Amino acid sequence: MSNHIHRHMPLKLVDEDTRQYEGITHLQRYGSYWGIIVNGIFGENTVFRLVLSLCPTVAVTNSLRNGFILGVAVLFVQIMVNVTVSALRKFIHPRIRIPIYMFIIAGWVTVIDMLMAAYARAAYAQIGLYIQIIVAYASIFARAELVASKNKVVTSLMDGIGMGVGYVIALVIISFFRELLGRGSLWGWEIIPTKPLLIMILPTGGFLVIGILIAFFNWIDIRFFKGKGASGAPSCH
Amino acid sequence: MTAKDIVKISLNLVAIYLIGGLILAFVYSKTSPIIFIKNKEEKEAALKKVMPEADRIEELGTWEPHEKHATYYIAKVCEEEKIEKIKDAQTGDFRETKKCIKDKVIGYVVEGFGKGYSSYINVLVAVDKNFVVKKIAVLHHGETPGLGDEIERDYFLNQFDGKTIEHLVVIKMETKDNIQAISGATISSRAVAEDGVRNGVKMLIDKFSNGVKG
Repeated sequence: MSNHIHRHMPLKLVDEDTRQYEGITHLQRYGSYWGIIVNGIFGENTVFRLVLSLCPTVAVTNSLRNGFILGVAVLFVQIMVNVTVSALRKFIHPRIRIPIYMFIIAGWVTVIDMLMAAYARAAYAQIGLYIQIIVAYASIFARAELVASKNKVVTSLMDGIGMGVGYVIALVIISFFRELLGRGSLWGWEIIPTKPLLIMILPTGGFLVIGILIAFFNWIDIRFFKGKGASGAPSCH
Repeated sequence: MTAKDIVKISLNLVAIYLIGGLILAFVYSKTSPIIFIKNKEEKEAALKKVMPEADRIEELGTWEPHEKHATYYIAKVCEEEKIEKIKDAQTGDFRETKKCIKDKVIGYVVEGFGKGYSSYINVLVAVDKNFVVKKIAVLHHGETPGLGDEIERDYFLNQFDGKTIEHLVVIKMETKDNIQAISGATISSRAVAEDGVRNGVKMLIDKFSNGVKG
């Protein structure tokens, strides 16, 4: 019985914020394009606020260069997926939107994979393994469903830029601490001659750093902006 | 859902997948030749790096460590060169080309795979005629960044220079005769030394030590 009811309910994020803002566009919610970008970087930062896509984040942030390159790859895919989904939103039948989002994400990931293999070989040798993981990024999928499928192309573009840049910044901050403490180097350049805390470049260290940074950003949010801290449920992809 | 809906949804899917497929095919057709050429160039550069004194490195055959496709090569230097004059058929001019009339085998290069911690490590090993390792290189791997990827560092790779097959053993202490494991990456070190390099050298010895010298 309950199953039957749920099947006909539209997919919605059950959250106070969402209910409060129902029926208005993303642009109206954040006031301006600049507001949307700032929201992606601070208000809804993928790692520190939504706590999404933690597996690849932990996997690549053990060196600053890897973190930055993957961040830029995600930024590119995020923008392209948001724009494509938004441009096609009136053409995509709601019942098959999920396979089509999957296809659009997988398509753009394949494109960037091939372009990097051809033109950015040094970076590809380092990070090629993680490029394909972008297909399963919850953050990209979530923005396609929550923003791009309901908003105009420019709004979606701005949201993609904001979310992508926010993710790059998050990766850079995390990998800065992990590489400095775990390897004693930054961007491959030796800063400290020993490895002060080897655990930092292992996954354990990744979760430690992310946890401490989430706590730090929660503290800023609660102390200075009267927010209530990150409310996202942690997700692996 | 009516029949009309089914048709509409199907067409919707087909149209989007078709357009996407065409875009992917276009990008693939543009990038795959570049990827192919660059892969080949990188392989040649890697061969040149492990065997810099060779004039020619020729492919001899393939073998399958861990059911992967790997190649082995023979390295030759030229002992006597002859300058030949070839008449160009179209212009009638003579062009001088150097041709090697007598060459000497100086060693072999073998590609090998070692099962590491999180990937198969692809190595390239250069040996001389007595199957003593001259130089090795790591071509590809997916080991843990920060720990396992130390196998790419020179201090680890240089240990292999001048080692015979009996000495290709990983030891967790300081050693001059054998290979010293990287701290925190014993599995990766073993994969390179004992799985990748030693099995490659062993294959060469089995194949070429009975007087059949390319």
